[in-house]
Amino acid sequence: MATRIHIAASPAGNTNLAGSFFLHVLFAGSIVLFAYMHHAFGHSWGDSNQNVGAIQASMVDAIPLPSDATPTDNVLATDNPSKAPAPLTPATVAKPQPDEVLIQNKTKPTKIAERTTPQNLHPQTVAPSDRIPAGEAPGMRIAVSTVQLATGTSQMSVPAGDFGSRYAYYVNGMHHTVTNNWWQQEADPRASNGRSVTLLFDVLRDGTPTNVRVEKASNSPSLDISAKHALQRVESFGPLPDTYRGDRITVEYTFDYQLH
Amino acid sequence: MKQTPRKHAPSRTFRILCSLGLTVFAFCTAARAQDWVHIESSNGVDRIRIAAAGFKPLAADAATQNYKHLFDVTLYSDLNSAGIFDLVSQSLAPESTPGTPAEMVVAQWSAAPASAAMVAFGSLSVNGGNVVVNGWLYDTKNTVDPKVLGAQYSEPASDESTRHIAHEFADEIILRLGGGLPGIAETHIYYVNAHGGNKEIWEMDYDGQSQHQITHLDTITLSPRISPDGNRLAFASLGHDGWNIRVYSMLLGRMVSFPAIGGTNLSPAWSSDGRQIAFSSSRSGDPEIYIGDEAGNNLRRITSYRGPDVSPVWNPRTSSQIAWISGRTGLPQLYIMDSDGTNVQRMTDGGYATSPSWSPNGQFIAFAWDRKYGPGAPGGQDIYVMEVATKKWIQLTHDTGGRCDFPSWSPDGRHIVFESDTGRSSDIWTMLADGTGRHKLTTGGTGTMPNWSWK
Repeated sequence: MATRIHIAASPAGNTNLAGSFFLHVLFAGSIVLFAYMHHAFGHSWGDSNQNVGAIQASMVDAIPLPSDATPTDNVLATDNPSKAPAPLTPATVAKPQPDEVLIQNKTKPTKIAERTTPQNLHPQTVAPSDRIPAGEAPGMRIAVSTVQLATGTSQMSVPAGDFGSRYAYYVNGMHHTVTNNWWQQEADPRASNGRSVTLLFDVLRDGTPTNVRVEKASNSPSLDISAKHALQRVESFGPLPDTYRGDRITVEYTFDYQLH
Repeated sequence: MKQTPRKHAPSRTFRILCSLGLTVFAFCTAARAQDWVHIESSNGVDRIRIAAAGFKPLAADAATQNYKHLFDVTLYSDLNSAGIFDLVSQSLAPESTPGTPAEMVVAQWSAAPASAAMVAFGSLSVNGGNVVVNGWLYDTKNTVDPKVLGAQYSEPASDESTRHIAHEFADEIILRLGGGLPGIAETHIYYVNAHGGNKEIWEMDYDGQSQHQITHLDTITLSPRISPDGNRLAFASLGHDGWNIRVYSMLLGRMVSFPAIGGTNLSPAWSSDGRQIAFSSSRSGDPEIYIGDEAGNNLRRITSYRGPDVSPVWNPRTSSQIAWISGRTGLPQLYIMDSDGTNVQRMTDGGYATSPSWSPNGQFIAFAWDRKYGPGAPGGQDIYVMEVATKKWIQLTHDTGGRCDFPSWSPDGRHIVFESDTGRSSDIWTMLADGTGRHKLTTGGTGTMPNWSWK
């Protein structure tokens, strides 16, 4: 249903218009009156109270700062021309008398024979030093290969014999291969953090890993399994060194899972 | 009349502020998505510092000197690009050239400035038309028994043989010091080379040397894939009946039969046992993935979704999974599935993905990806590597000045070969699998679609 709005003129409209006009005129007049009164009797900028609330500055040739130089008699430090110096008079030195200096009698120094016998009749034993002189001994071979990974530290060693020290390059190569094949995301980070697992495995003459077993479990099954999987993925570490006479080696592999 | 409460329409200012907020949120989200997820490519093991002493020539004639220089350069390059060594600069090496263990003074090499943990040395001579090389590898820290390797090589005298001996010696060193992974110095790279309007398959050594043509079909051939035993080369070729898979015998030096099944057949891929071959075929009208035996028989289709399914590659570790590119959801994306077509997983979340290559240990997939595909989109097509288990990826190529495509893993999993296309020319490049050590193998501007041999 449509609604019509009727707009009609009313007598009250004229009264409101006149009132509005009157108020506007009154407002404008008050502004003009205030301006005139302020101009005639008020204070202007800078006319009075000049020493209050304003900064007066005057330009000078130089700022008379006190001198910090102490007065000196040095002629080179003054602007006055110096006088010519007087010629120096030679100082007269009295001749020494012959008996002024007392001459003492000369005495012969006593000769001391060189000592031929050793001072220490008993030989002293010197404690051997632990320090190895640089350049006189080969570098120390550490038989344990340690690697810092993003999720912890791994160690690999060959416990028995001197394989680890003689063939450190082979142990490093094995370590390289195991860490390449270890998929670290297989271990549950929350359950494995701060835990350590140790595996033992044998490496045959042709480099094949075999007989993988957990020597020390970590109490995190996912960490133990991921470490075992890493070794199971390795087909060969490469043939054992030609000069090694054994037919296999036993390797210990430890991994400390530590999130940074 | 019952009045319903009036809903206040959002003011214009409110709408503008909401739009601005959403824009800022979207920008922040996009910026966050661009953060690279780093896969740990370094295993923390320090590289072995090794020195390659210049081999001692046992004669002063020009031929011996020439072979000695070629041998030294090749051996140094092989060890330097292996990715596991910190090679002693030749300017830091002692001036002596030991040719035999008796002439070797280990202390000279273990002391500064060389500070080598290992040193390779030996002698080279030409006897009876053969190049004879005696090489040793010494552990300088082991004063009791420093010998790690001693080997003798003899091959008919030629530049090719000398390079081959250096490759063999380098691979022996890498096998002993690399933790069991064989070296790649004797591997080859197969690629497509455009010449005179045709595209033929070429072969080169892993370092770009000895480039030579394999096929002479006078047509366009694409996607070369060498078999695991290195005896057969499969590729897609344009013939009278369209695109078909064809096989070239490296042993016989000629083409061998492979059935033409109709439709467009592209991108063959060998399983790791060499018994199966997967490829894409549009014989049914829509490009789908098919698997057949090595002779192309007993075909079975393993994809069925509408949309192109192309570029299959096997998981070389298990041969039980296949990665491929599918356009079933629009732009091509990377997918993996079991080789019977089950357990389909989408690996990429957008962009334009192509050319997958599965790493030898099965852990990673390398592929080409344009993450912000579209007109005016930033970036371009680069090589990425994704860890299959976690779908985390890492970008390997940046600002190469061209579009990177067709990555292929080396058999040791330490290197990736790929194509870089500037629009006017394309060349084959190689790099370590962490994106470092990038260098160009071809210079003609016509090399494309490289494939690294299995061994």
